[in-house]
Amino acid sequence: MKRKTSQVASELIKRLDTHLNDESIGNPFFPERGIQPFPLTTDGFKTIQNVDSDKKTAFVDGGNQEVLGAPNFSVQLNRVYFGMWSGNKRIPERSIPKRIEFFAATFSDFERGEIQYSTSLFPLAGEEAILPRERDLSFSSMDRSITVGNQRADIYRVGSISRRFSELVLAKSVVENELAPGDVILLDGTLQTAFPNEYAYLAELSQAAQKKGVILGGLSKTSALFTDTGYSLLGALDKLSAEKGITSEWYYPIADGTSKDHFVFILGVKLNAISERIFRLEIQRDQFLSLDERELNELLTQLVRNSADYTFPGYPYGLIDADRFARVTSSEREHYFAILRSQMAAMGKWEKFYRHVKATDAHNVLNKLG
Amino acid sequence: MHQFAHMADVHLGANRHGKMAELEIGAFVRAMDMCITRKVDFIVISGDLFHVGVPSDLNTVRQAVAKMREVTEHGIPIYAIYGSHDYTPTSTSIIDVIESAGLLTKIVKPQVIDGTLKLECVVDARTGAKLVGISARRMGLEREYYDMLDREELERLDGFKIFAFHSGIDELKPEYLSRMDSIPISLFPKGFDYYAGGHVHQHSEHRLPGYDRIVFPGPLFAGYGRDFEFTAKGERRGFYIVSFDQTVTDVEFVETVLVESMFKEYSLTGLNSARAQDTLAESFGSLDVDGKIVVLKIRGELSGGKTSDIDFVHLQNLLYDRGAVDVHLGRRGLTSADYASIKVAGEDVTIIEERLFKENVGTVHTNIPELQGDSGVKLSLELLRVLKEDKNPAENKKEYEARMIEDALGVLQLKGAFEK
Amino acid sequence: MTRMEELEIVGQIIAGKVAHILIREKTDTKIELGNLLVAESRNGLLILQVHNLFYGSQVSREVLELTAGLELEGRGGSLEFFDESLRNYVLAEARAVALVSGNRVTIPKALPDFFSSVRHVVNEDLRFMDVPENTAYLGKVRSGSNVLDVPVRLNAQDLFTHHVLIPATTGRGKSNLVKVLLWSVVNDDNLGVLVLDPHDEYYGGRGKELGLSNHPDAKDKVKYYSLAAPAGTNTLVINLKSIMPWHIEELVNLTDPQSEALYGYYFAHKKDKQWIEAIFKDERPENVAPMTAAVLQRKFKTALGLDVNEQGDLICYNRAFSATSGESTLSEMIAALESGMIVVVDTSRLSDKAELLIGSLVINEILTKYQRYKQETGSSGVSKLEDKPVVSIVIEEAPRVLGADVLSQGGDTTYSTVAREGRKFKIGLVAITQLTSVIPTTVLANLNTKIIFGNEMASERNAIISSAAQDLKEDYATIGSLDKGEAIVSSIFTKFAIPIQVPLFDDYVAEYPSRDTSEDKHDIHLKPNRRVV
Repeated sequence: MKRKTSQVASELIKRLDTHLNDESIGNPFFPERGIQPFPLTTDGFKTIQNVDSDKKTAFVDGGNQEVLGAPNFSVQLNRVYFGMWSGNKRIPERSIPKRIEFFAATFSDFERGEIQYSTSLFPLAGEEAILPRERDLSFSSMDRSITVGNQRADIYRVGSISRRFSELVLAKSVVENELAPGDVILLDGTLQTAFPNEYAYLAELSQAAQKKGVILGGLSKTSALFTDTGYSLLGALDKLSAEKGITSEWYYPIADGTSKDHFVFILGVKLNAISERIFRLEIQRDQFLSLDERELNELLTQLVRNSADYTFPGYPYGLIDADRFARVTSSEREHYFAILRSQMAAMGKWEKFYRHVKATDAHNVLNKLG
Repeated sequence: MHQFAHMADVHLGANRHGKMAELEIGAFVRAMDMCITRKVDFIVISGDLFHVGVPSDLNTVRQAVAKMREVTEHGIPIYAIYGSHDYTPTSTSIIDVIESAGLLTKIVKPQVIDGTLKLECVVDARTGAKLVGISARRMGLEREYYDMLDREELERLDGFKIFAFHSGIDELKPEYLSRMDSIPISLFPKGFDYYAGGHVHQHSEHRLPGYDRIVFPGPLFAGYGRDFEFTAKGERRGFYIVSFDQTVTDVEFVETVLVESMFKEYSLTGLNSARAQDTLAESFGSLDVDGKIVVLKIRGELSGGKTSDIDFVHLQNLLYDRGAVDVHLGRRGLTSADYASIKVAGEDVTIIEERLFKENVGTVHTNIPELQGDSGVKLSLELLRVLKEDKNPAENKKEYEARMIEDALGVLQLKGAFEK
Repeated sequence: MTRMEELEIVGQIIAGKVAHILIREKTDTKIELGNLLVAESRNGLLILQVHNLFYGSQVSREVLELTAGLELEGRGGSLEFFDESLRNYVLAEARAVALVSGNRVTIPKALPDFFSSVRHVVNEDLRFMDVPENTAYLGKVRSGSNVLDVPVRLNAQDLFTHHVLIPATTGRGKSNLVKVLLWSVVNDDNLGVLVLDPHDEYYGGRGKELGLSNHPDAKDKVKYYSLAAPAGTNTLVINLKSIMPWHIEELVNLTDPQSEALYGYYFAHKKDKQWIEAIFKDERPENVAPMTAAVLQRKFKTALGLDVNEQGDLICYNRAFSATSGESTLSEMIAALESGMIVVVDTSRLSDKAELLIGSLVINEILTKYQRYKQETGSSGVSKLEDKPVVSIVIEEAPRVLGADVLSQGGDTTYSTVAREGRKFKIGLVAITQLTSVIPTTVLANLNTKIIFGNEMASERNAIISSAAQDLKEDYATIGSLDKGEAIVSSIFTKFAIPIQVPLFDDYVAEYPSRDTSEDKHDIHLKPNRRVV
């Protein structure tokens, strides 16, 4: 029996509604251990005070796309980029290249009774020294940190790990060569490590930052965090700030993380008064605790000033910029695919490779069928 | 009421032999007599009274002067300007001689002030008429004077005024004279009562905006050359008697020719030279030419033989024998089919040219020895060679023209004659 | 350092296709419509011409509109555009018009190298255009609103024999151009020009603006005919004998009987040529009905201003025609043209018909003569026509004689014959018009040089563009934005459609060694102590 769509919609909305608890927002909930949340109250909001400075903030981001893939190999183009800003002014880099590009080719081998993935890196641009170590990019296909459920890890995922590592490597190089004490290095996303060997890279970065006196942080666009009443964390903050009637930029301490994997202080921030967006800002814990109020506001003022672009008020332009230049577009992917393909054909190897590619190619075929 | 006579282009001395010379001076004498009879107040001669500036035949001069003396003694002043023929660059023309004898007055009284040509007028004592004139020079070079002329001053003159000139006027030239050097009317001062012209050998009266009466009397007799043909075709010859008080009231043309003329045209196309000769002889034998000036035009293409095969001298004599006063035989339009074949036969061009000149040098009427006979042929060849020269790519048209003229004058030994 | 490095880069080629090459403009440089830009390549210099400009942005349209709204309503607060010049910029659309390699100029057939930088064109790039042997001067090369010091000269013989069209609305400077062009060819002995001047603006003199009369060689090379002729110039008067029946047929609509009657009068007076007078003197040939004769009289009256007075004499109200004077005027005009002079006829006081008649008389005569010359061989073995100068006729308001309706009603006129066939006989036309759309394309196709001035009318622009020697499709906007004195020369003799700036005539003339008028009076022929006799 066919039912009216409007009726279906109405039932659906009713059910959702019962689950969306608008009454009690609760407090931030973190499933992992080692994170201490703070209560959510209207008094917790801190207005960001304007503190002028000429400190710099470096933003780092990366992008990648699979150029050629099969179940047993994946060739990906990786790109990492950094840009430096002081408030709303772009600061040109001094010595290191702005962009590092490389191919990461991951293969599967049968080793020790298991399928093992290993990766080789082939730089296209930038310096070889600013690449992660190849040996860090070898994993077992059953490594828990990369499996999805209990399925073997998709080889594609391994490829994207090289990107993450190279962001950290570039960030370290930026800290060492381009920044001065009091400056900030901001990554896109959190400072939580997830992949095998990732911790080592983050630690190297963190040490370099602390040694130089450069604050390490990470800003996430999205957040999957909840409160303990099932409320979306950032949604809760938004509601609270409305209740409080705050009209200017603010920050709200959310949690204090002390675990090895996530040694950060977490804030919610609103970086532009007319923006409706709230973002999660993480700062390396030791460094955060060493900041006095003035220094913290100085850091946040820099971010506020950088978040005043028309296209995305409230989000740092430095990250928009980094994202745009790090991104690998589909047309680039196709471009590089074409190059690889023709080179393979020239070397008489295409047939051999294609046999493997077909296995995952069904998608493309279906797409083309429209 | 006053009257004046206006004549021009008498060309005394153009016809120097026998009856023609008589007729020529006769026309002048007749005209002067008419002036006396009609009691004109003065006479205006607009140039070319004599055929050359320094006539060699003093008999004609004597007769002319005698008549002018008679006219003057009747109290009729004669006002004159130079024409293109009777002038000299150094004011030593026969006209000047006559003027110094008090028998005529030149009315060209120029002064160059600040690059402008100012003309002083001559006032006729009896009538108060003001006369002003510009003489001619060869080849229309008087144009420069007109360019410099202070027209405004002349236009401001009051009273009855006459402008005498000896030039073709662009706007009034007949079609067949379109190549003649002439002057645009805009260079003449406006508002004169009478423009007494000369140089054009046909009588005519014209009017143009701003210029009420422009008159050319034409020659008294036949003039020379082509004039005979026109006369024979019916062109009337004579002078004007103009009546005036404040303005011109009447313009009357008075004829002076004393002899009849006839004109006939022949086409010899398709005949060979022998047959042509016979045909002409036959025709000439039947023409009534007694006491007439005969003008003949022979044209066409002979089918055979050369044009020089025809004995034109003999044919002319036939007419003279029958009483013709003067015979003009024009045969420029006569060609021979054979001539074309001569060229093709590959003979040297210069030989052909020489022959052509030799054959034709006799037909040119001239009293200058250098232009006659062998000397004339040589001169012609030399001149032809000079004029055949092509323009250099490096020179423009003006320079080319100047070079041509200079070289040609050199051949004719006239270098410096036209020094300006 | 290469030229490109020395000179300022103004943009970079980023995309596009043939004839629509997209160039991103460098901030703070200004690329204009019509600018000529240069991209250096291995094969030489590639010259591009900008024909469109538009805004480019990395920011989406919606955001831009929102942003503008925020600013306008005062709600933007502290917001701004970061990297403003990076994200908002100007894109220029250009087409490649010429590839210059040394002195060789070719039409480019390949796209320029991707991402090539471009710079503004400079004088040295266009040296190939300055051909000093060419006498016909049109102006200087213009890049947008910037005028370069590169003269644009065309070969006069080629230009004029292949006909010229000058489309322009009033006030754009076409008369100024004609003056400049004519001045530049005054001394060209291989070119004679007849100018029908309905506004009496080309000769000058009489205390008016400067004109051709101010040229140092005007005395020998320029003739002027006018009803009010200043001293030294010719009065415009043409004898009726110069007019033949076929001239009248072109001018006036006649029915067949009227045409027959016309010829009847003509043949009856073949010898004395006074057939027109005969029409007015009621000397009717046998086969002409009185009614027809009366109609002819009336038509002549209207067209030429002829009538009889009480005494029965023919009078010409239109003083340009006369029964008694001006017999040689036509021959003199022809002779002048044949000797490479410029003949300006002031038709400002004449009716349309009279003006066209005069033009027609001259052209017919010249055409006949030149047709004959073509058939005759001269002394050097080639046709006599080879030694004769090109003759061109400048006529304004060309649709009067080249318009589609005129041609379809009355058939070919002398002028359209010249437009179609004149080139064979070295006779050309310079047609000036406000309306190109009314001239049939078959005629337009023969006018091989078009000097295009500004024109706002869409129909006109389209007509001009569709008949031009180069593909001017993209110049639709440019033609609408041409200022006074700015033009585009589109010709089979130019490698591309050249944008030019025509100098003001007075300025152009000022560069000439002027005629010292005080010298004139003491002219070189006459020394002060020489007597005038």
